[in-house]
Amino acid sequence: MLKYSIKRLLESLVTVLIIVVAVFLLMRLMPVEGYFGDEYAKLTQEMINRKLESLGLFDPPLVQLGNFLGDIFTGNLGVSTRIQIDVPVTTILAQKVPVSAAFGVVSTFISLILGIALGVTQARFKGKFMDSLGTGYIIIINSVPPLVYYFFIQVFVSDWFNLPMRYDGDNPVSWILPLISMSLGSIAGNALWVRRYMVDELNKDYIKLARAKGLPYKYIMYRHVLRNAFVPMVQYLPVSFLMTIGGSLLIEELYAIPGMGNLLVQAVQKQDNNLVQVLILIYSTVGIIGVFIGDLLMMVIDPRIKIGSKGGAR
Amino acid sequence: MEERKPILSAKDIEITFSMRGRYLKAIRKCSLDLYEGETLAIVGESGSGKSVFTKSFIGMLDNNGSITGGSIMFEGVDIAKYTKESDWLKIRGKKIAMVFQDPMTSLNPLKTIGEQIREVIELHQGIKGEESKKMAIEMLEKVGITDPANRYKQYPHEFSGGMRQRVVIAIAAACFPKILICDEPTTALDVTIQAQILDLIRNLQKEMGMTVIYITHDLGVVANVADRVAVMYAGELVEVGTAEDIFYDARHPYTWALLSSLPQLGEKGQPLPTIEGTPPNLYNDIVGDAFAPRNKHALRIDFIENPPYFEVSPTHKAKTWLLDPRAPKCEAPKVIQQLRSKMKGR
Repeated sequence: MLKYSIKRLLESLVTVLIIVVAVFLLMRLMPVEGYFGDEYAKLTQEMINRKLESLGLFDPPLVQLGNFLGDIFTGNLGVSTRIQIDVPVTTILAQKVPVSAAFGVVSTFISLILGIALGVTQARFKGKFMDSLGTGYIIIINSVPPLVYYFFIQVFVSDWFNLPMRYDGDNPVSWILPLISMSLGSIAGNALWVRRYMVDELNKDYIKLARAKGLPYKYIMYRHVLRNAFVPMVQYLPVSFLMTIGGSLLIEELYAIPGMGNLLVQAVQKQDNNLVQVLILIYSTVGIIGVFIGDLLMMVIDPRIKIGSKGGAR
Repeated sequence: MEERKPILSAKDIEITFSMRGRYLKAIRKCSLDLYEGETLAIVGESGSGKSVFTKSFIGMLDNNGSITGGSIMFEGVDIAKYTKESDWLKIRGKKIAMVFQDPMTSLNPLKTIGEQIREVIELHQGIKGEESKKMAIEMLEKVGITDPANRYKQYPHEFSGGMRQRVVIAIAAACFPKILICDEPTTALDVTIQAQILDLIRNLQKEMGMTVIYITHDLGVVANVADRVAVMYAGELVEVGTAEDIFYDARHPYTWALLSSLPQLGEKGQPLPTIEGTPPNLYNDIVGDAFAPRNKHALRIDFIENPPYFEVSPTHKAKTWLLDPRAPKCEAPKVIQQLRSKMKGR
């Protein structure tokens, strides 16, 4: 088990390293304007070269790569050049990440709890009214473009319950609508998977034996079916939690939430090279960490997975 | 024969499945007495209703199936009338337990063997904690698992097929059931393990005084274990008798056909005998004897009227017009008459 964990950790590190190099190489292909602010047009070639030299961009590529890696390890992520001129990237992130992550984590929790509850209910009453109701909800959420119900919630629901239409950091009531909007989709997603995995498990032979043992239906549902159905889902949980730092583009826009949502889009549009580079690195690294933790969780929860160690019986 | 009280008595059981608006009569008026301590084998080809019939004893018919007639008396109660799951939970696993065919998939892969045995003990006997753990380990030992204290902590994938079937049997026997139903318990196992499992069930039966029902289409198993045999065809019990009656004095043409298909009776160089045709479609109403179209010895009346049971001896009855006094004399096929000597010669 330890051996497998270490192996997976090393694999993850290598993947991250490959991404770092790939991002580094791609960024060298970008137009150099991205390293300047709005003053670029007014600068002479000499001034441009002086700035680029001070950034180390004329060094041989390998030296540049070395410096880049060194900077990352010392936590020096550079400054933003176009979005918030000369503000360190870390400062920008420190402002925005907590807002997005707070919304994201709370919404992920809500949608896990409600989604699982819905999925379990659907599986328990498979083919009955509750199941159809849940399926109806899932179909609507998945087929209607999110913007439609986001707008609906912002315009009408806010009116009905007299809730604010704009985010206000100091007023918790204004957090309700964005949270609901954010959760609706993932509730449907979770419910769909929970129901699907539970129905899969329900048809297995060991459930037949569990019933023949005289175990009550509810007990079988929660202690056998749900537990086993949860295993394939566990793998994706860490990723979905960690990825919340990226924020939600549409919802943060609609409610004017100062989160990460549109930062990457803006940075790309405005060619803020350094910011793009850092954001891509962070998102991909976080993704890899999430998958890594997911694999470890799987291993803890499913006794059949013991890759790389003694290699279980049979 | 000694006078014995039936422990379970099914009378005129009818089981119907509804399939998209159509009705399938899977069991058509089956009556069967099960005597305390005996071993009964139910044989018949696939789809004849063996499993469905016995599943109705513990209320485990699929959702679209139900008992639509008859009664099952068990401990003075007609359990065929049970509709609520909570009624069945008083019997299922506790007084009547079941072992299924495929041990590879019968256990929850994510729970330890110990947990899965303990579950039943705690639920049915109300014994908790260390005590139930001790009982589970004892149970493992009883079904012949070596080093039970360590095996207790292991998961199903760490057990072989035969070992898993032992565990399933331990689960079934953990609550000292009165009746143990074994639905093809050895079909998925290789031959050497088969004999061990049959021995195990036999020993447990003796030790715990259980009544055992085997569902099988392996007549070899039947000959090995059964006191009495019930032959099932198209949802009806066509012949019931002691093992001796069925093997050496069979009266129903279907039983003859089954026995003649025993590979052991085949002649070298000759193709093995088979039963021509297929069982009837149970969606349709069956007129006359269900086996008539495949029956080499069918009489004209077989196509018109369903035969009643004719008693051959107090322990032996068969459902064929051939036993009617008015019927022409019809001898069992030669191979069957020679069954005893043939089997001995082997």
